[in-house]
Amino acid sequence: MFEQYLKLTYYDIFFFLKAIWVTLWITLVSIAIGTIIGLVMGFIRNSKNKIISAIPLIYIEPLRNSPLITQLFLIYYGLPVVANIVLTAEASAIIALSLNTGAFFSVLVHNSLKAIPKMQWEAGFALGHDGVSNFRHIIAPQFIRLIIPSAITLYINQLQVSSFVSLISLIDLTKAGHILTLRTMNPFLIYGIVFVLYFVISYPLSKMAKSLEKKIAFTY
Amino acid sequence: MALIEVKNITKAFGDLVVLRDFSVTFNQGGVTVILGPSGTGKSTLLRCINGLEAINSGDILVDGLSVKEKKNLKHIRIKCGMVFQQTVLFPHLDVLENLVMSPIKILGKPRAQAVEQAEELLNKVGLISKLHSKHNELSGGEQQRIAIARAMMMDPEALLLDEITSALDPEMSVEVLKIIEKLASDGVVMLIVTHEIPFAQRIADRILFLENGSIVADSPKDKFFSEIKDENPRIARFIKNIHH
Repeated sequence: MFEQYLKLTYYDIFFFLKAIWVTLWITLVSIAIGTIIGLVMGFIRNSKNKIISAIPLIYIEPLRNSPLITQLFLIYYGLPVVANIVLTAEASAIIALSLNTGAFFSVLVHNSLKAIPKMQWEAGFALGHDGVSNFRHIIAPQFIRLIIPSAITLYINQLQVSSFVSLISLIDLTKAGHILTLRTMNPFLIYGIVFVLYFVISYPLSKMAKSLEKKIAFTY
Repeated sequence: MALIEVKNITKAFGDLVVLRDFSVTFNQGGVTVILGPSGTGKSTLLRCINGLEAINSGDILVDGLSVKEKKNLKHIRIKCGMVFQQTVLFPHLDVLENLVMSPIKILGKPRAQAVEQAEELLNKVGLISKLHSKHNELSGGEQQRIAIARAMMMDPEALLLDEITSALDPEMSVEVLKIIEKLASDGVVMLIVTHEIPFAQRIADRILFLENGSIVADSPKDKFFSEIKDENPRIARFIKNIHH
């Protein structure tokens, strides 16, 4: 009866599950790569040398100030034309999302490092810690606590904007919804399911960010 | 060999020369109180001794080691513990971990020994009940007493105290100054920058009076407060202004 009502087959459910996997795979890989890029860029941004600290802005600002979809199209449709680089939809999606995540993450890194008072470094040095030990035992634990809640919020956002990859023929959760809507002609229900699935993934993460924020929060 | 030898140092921030061809020696034993108007180089002197500020010329030897050599800094900073004007506890750690982390990581002390020492010191500063408190559960005075105990955990030969009560209200200042007196009576060498003249009168063995990056007076406490302060109008004016 359920199948009849929705006009969904077991194959369709399998199709949805596969699409969830594509969405999660693309998101997880790109937030992992984006986090590494963001850490590197964020730390360079924090350099005391003004010229070196400005270099990452060449990467960060254009990516933060343009729609992800144009970044995606530039890589998927633009690169073959200008550089004869033809990438699969999956590779294009991962590259675009990674670079985009990296740009936003580097700002979080920069802001979190800046939020740690200089006196914390000095207190560590005064106790005999060298730069590495100071960072490892005093600065990094504070940095991690400062960045985690906003990082999770960014990751949730990247999961949601990953739906743009449906526009370069990758069958993610959104694209699967589109295909099944065309077949069932029941957009409210199909997109309702897509909506719920995104929500089911995002909401626990968002709750986790909130509870972590409470648990690890501190003031100076 | 003197514990700390400051030899003809000059320290400038841009065009502003804060310490000018400055020399002084601190031997083992005793409490030296450094007095002088604001901006005269008192805190900068302590920061240079601790290697937190690089000197422009001259040299500072701590235990015979130059602060100009980066490799000496760890030894120098262990020898000379420093407590700052602003309380700087590590906010991600509770009181006990604030105390034991550095001795374990830097000196390689066994944890049990570090914990035992931390408890002794917390008893001494009257805060054993705050063993597992976080910094934001402590008053300013309590935080400063913990910071002093944390510096003592490294078994320093000298403590550099940089206006440690100036951010505190009078009641809290008294709590902190009592601890300093207790440590001084235990024989801890101290270099104290302060504006608390009565406290200086009680605790100091030696007074250094600085103005414009140079030493105006360097004498035993009794001589300073009985003779020098009356002979030198600048010092007399400074002390009068502090009192009023």
